[in-house]
Amino acid sequence: MPTKTHLISNGAVIDDTWVLIDDETPLDDTPAIISLDRLKAEADALRSRNAKIGVVIRTNTQGKTKLGEDVRELAPYLDMLSTIAIDFPVYRNGRGYSDARILREEMGFEGELRAIGEVLFDQWSFMARCGFDTFEIDASIPVEKFKEALNELSEAYQPAVDNQRGVLWRRHGL
Amino acid sequence: MAQHSSKGARFQAVTANRLNDGEVVYFKDNGWIENFAEAEIADGQEAAEALLTRASPDNMEAFILDPYLFEVSESEDGFTPVSVRENIRAKGPTVRTDLGKQAEAG
Amino acid sequence: MYRYDEFDHKIVTDRVNQFRGQVNRRISGELSEDAFKPLRLMNGVYLQLHAYMLRVAIPYGTVSSKQMRMLAHIARKYDRGYGHFTTRQNIQYNWPALDRIPDLLEELASVEMHAIQTSGNCIRNVTADQYAGAIADEIEDPRIISEIIRQWSTFHPEFSYLPRKFKIAVTGHENDRAAIKLHDIGIVIVRNDKGETGYEVHVGGGQGRSPFIAKKLTNFVPAEKLLAYLEAVMRVYNMLGRRDNSYKARIKILVHETGETEMRRLVDEEFERIDASQMLSLPEAELDRISAYFAPPNYENLPAQSEVFEAAKGSNADFNHWVKTNLVPHKTPGYGIINISLKPIGGIPGDATDVQMDIIADLAERYALDEVRVTHEQNLVLPHVKLDEAKEVYDILCAHDLATPNIGLISDTIACPGLDYCNLANARSIPLAQEISTHFADLDKQYDIGELKIKISGCINACGHHHVGHIGILGVDKKGTEFYQISLGGSADEQASLGDITGQAFTEDKVVDAVDTIVETYLNLRQPEERFLDTYRRVGMSPFKEQLYAD
Ligand code: HEM
Ligand code: SF4
Repeated sequence: MPTKTHLISNGAVIDDTWVLIDDETPLDDTPAIISLDRLKAEADALRSRNAKIGVVIRTNTQGKTKLGEDVRELAPYLDMLSTIAIDFPVYRNGRGYSDARILREEMGFEGELRAIGEVLFDQWSFMARCGFDTFEIDASIPVEKFKEALNELSEAYQPAVDNQRGVLWRRHGL
Repeated sequence: MAQHSSKGARFQAVTANRLNDGEVVYFKDNGWIENFAEAEIADGQEAAEALLTRASPDNMEAFILDPYLFEVSESEDGFTPVSVRENIRAKGPTVRTDLGKQAEAG
Repeated sequence: MYRYDEFDHKIVTDRVNQFRGQVNRRISGELSEDAFKPLRLMNGVYLQLHAYMLRVAIPYGTVSSKQMRMLAHIARKYDRGYGHFTTRQNIQYNWPALDRIPDLLEELASVEMHAIQTSGNCIRNVTADQYAGAIADEIEDPRIISEIIRQWSTFHPEFSYLPRKFKIAVTGHENDRAAIKLHDIGIVIVRNDKGETGYEVHVGGGQGRSPFIAKKLTNFVPAEKLLAYLEAVMRVYNMLGRRDNSYKARIKILVHETGETEMRRLVDEEFERIDASQMLSLPEAELDRISAYFAPPNYENLPAQSEVFEAAKGSNADFNHWVKTNLVPHKTPGYGIINISLKPIGGIPGDATDVQMDIIADLAERYALDEVRVTHEQNLVLPHVKLDEAKEVYDILCAHDLATPNIGLISDTIACPGLDYCNLANARSIPLAQEISTHFADLDKQYDIGELKIKISGCINACGHHHVGHIGILGVDKKGTEFYQISLGGSADEQASLGDITGQAFTEDKVVDAVDTIVETYLNLRQPEERFLDTYRRVGMSPFKEQLYAD
C-alpha cells in the first residue's frame, strides 16, 4: 500500500474531509468513516448526530470475515450514509467490484463510493465501470495519468454501472 | 515457483532468468553469464548466502528475475546441477536437444 | 466464421498498445517485476524454465487459413519454428523474447487474434466442440453462444479479479467432446418440449488437486437470458468463493462446500434480480448478427457415396485404416470431417512446425472451406472436406508426417509440457508419451486394443487431464527424482468420471511396463465389443492392481 495517498473524485484531486475512526474512539463533529459493526451497534445514536457518517466494508481473508463483510447488511442504513469505502486488501482480491455493483444497481446507493487499499493503475477503469467515483491512490500519481488510465480501453462489450451500454447492445443502437 | 530448497547442500550456484528474453543465466564475478559450466560455485552454506546476496542487489531487479540458489555436485568433469529441473534449465528441453543451450554448445 | 467489426478491432488494438506501454515501462525500469508480472500474465505471457511462453487464444478452437498462416509466421519469426497446441484449444510459443511480444501481438491483431483471456484469474478463453457446425444431430452450432460469451466476458469489469481462473466450455451435441463437466461452467445446448433452443448449465467441475464433476444447476435458460444467468453464477462465486487458500478458490470447492441445492438457490436469487433489470437481455438482432457468421458454408450438392473415395479405400490399405480412425461422418452428404493427428509415433503431442501449419492452412483453404479446428485432445481438424478429395488431402498430410492413423487410440496421448518446459512441473510428461507411443507403435496392436485414452500431467495442476484419462499418469516429485502415479477409469465425455489411483507411484523406467501390464490385463479380461473403459467399469480395480503389484 502506498505510504502517502491522495483522493481523486470524479476526475479531480479533492481534499479528504473524512477521518477513519476505530471502534473505540468516541465520535466528534467531523465526518467519520466507521466500521460496519459499529454502524450496526450504534445506528440509533448515529442517526441523531449532526455530522456526516460513512462506513468501510472490509474484505479481509482472515479471521471472522474470511470472505469479507456483506454489503447487503447496509440496507437499513443506506439513507444515513454519505460515503461507503470499500477496502481492497490486495489488488488480486476483486470482491469489492461486486460489492460496488450491488450497492449501485441492486440497492440504489447514490452517495460517494470510494476504493481504498491496494488501488492500482490497471484496476481504475474496472472500478469506475463498477460504480466507484472516488479513489484513494498513490499521491505521486498525477490526476492526468489517472484519467489516461480510464481511457486506455475505449470500448467495452458488456454493460456495467457506468453509462456505457456495451458493444453487444450498441451495435444495434440500444 | 518450484525452487528446490538447497539447505544442507555443500556446493551451490545462483541462477535467474533475464528480463528481456527470459534466458537462463548464472551469476559469476558480479555479472550474469549464460553458460552453467562457468557459473560461480559456492562451497558451504555461508558462502552460498554471500553469493546470493552479491547476486541480489536492488538494482539487479531491473533486468534479472528472481535469483535463487540451487544445489550442484562435483563430478569428474566439473560441476553438475543435482535436480532434474536444474539440469533441464542448464541444457534445454530433453525432448528437443536441437534447442536451448545444449544446441548452442554444439 | 466470426469476423471482427470496428468495435472488436478497437478493443484488441487498444489492448496491444496498452501492453506495449507496459513492456516499455518494465524494460526501462519504471515498473518493478512485482507490478509487471500480473500485467504480462493478463496478456498471456508466462515465464517458463528456459524463456518466456506466450499463450495465444483460439476462441472455441476455430481458425481460418489466414490465421493459421499467421500462427506459422509467428513460429518462424518470433519463435523457434514450432508451436504447441494445448488441451484448452490454444497455442503456446515457448521462446519469444519479451521485448518483441508487443510486435508479435500487433501482427496477431491484424488477423483478428490476441492473447486475451489466456491467463490470470479472469474468465478464460471459451472452448467448444471441435466438430461444431460439421457433425450431424447438433442442436445448434456451439460457436454462436461461445462467441457471445467471449465478448461478454472480455475485460469484464466485475470479474477480472476472481478468486481463481474460470473456464467455460460449450457443446451442442449429446456426445460431449468439450469435457463440459470438467469446467467451472459447462453449457449443453438443449431443446425443450416446445421445440425451443436453450442452455443447460453445469457448474463446479474441474481438475487440479481436487477434481470434481460439475453439477447441473438448471435444465433450460433461453438465449436472451443466458448472459444474465452466467453473470449470476459469476457474482455468487465472486462474493462467496474462497480467497484464503488458492487450492480452495475454484468454484468447484464453493459448490462442494455449499451444496448443490443451496448453490442453485443462491444463483436463482441473483439471476432473478439481474434478469428483472433487463440489463443483460441479449438483443435478438445481436444473436442473429452473430449466428449469421456461423451459417452453414456453401456445400456442394453431392451424392452421399463418393466413388473416388470408395475406390481409394479399396486400393490403399493405409488410406483405409486412416479413414477408419481419422475421418468422421459429416452432416452433409459427400463430405467428411478429417482429424489431423499431432501425435506421430514417438513425437511430441500437440507440437506442429511452421511448415506443417502452413501446409494445414493451404489444405484448409483448398479443401476445407477455409477452416481449421483445434481439439482439446491436441489434434487439428479439417471440418468440411469433400470425400472426393479426401485422398488428395491424405497424400499431402502423409508427406508432412500429419497422417498418423491413431485418433482415439493408445498412441493418441495427451501430455502437458511438463518439466521439459514448465516452471511448476514435478516431472516430465512428454518423454513418457513418446515412450508409450513407441512401445505401442504397431498399428494392428493399436487397433486390437481399440479406444484407449492416455493422459499425462507433469504435476497436480492437471493440465494434461490425467484425472479423466482412461489411463491417467501424474508426475510427482520425490526428493528431486521423477515418479509417476497411475490412475484408471477416468473419462471426460458425457459420462464423465474421475480415475482411481492404482497404488504406489512408479519410477520413470517402470511406467511403460506398467501401461503394458494394464493393457494386457484388459485384453485378457475383455468381453466382445468391450472398450478398455467398459471392461474397467465392469471388473473394477482389483485385477489390474494384482497384475501391477504382483512382485
Ligand atoms: C506451461 C505453463 C502452464 C502453467 C504455468 C499452467 C498452470 C496451471 C495451473 C496452476 C493450473 C491449476 C489451476 C487450479 O487448479 O486452480 C492449471 C490447470 C490447467 N491447465 Fe495449465 N498450465 C500451463 C500449461 C498448460 C497447457 C500447455 C495446457 C494444455 C495442454 C494447460 C491446460 C490446463 C487445464 C486443462 C487445466 C485444468 C483446469 C482445471 O483445473 O479445471 N495448461 N494450469
Ligand atoms: S500439469 Fe503441471 S507440469 Fe503440466 S503444464 Fe500444468 S502446471 Fe506444468
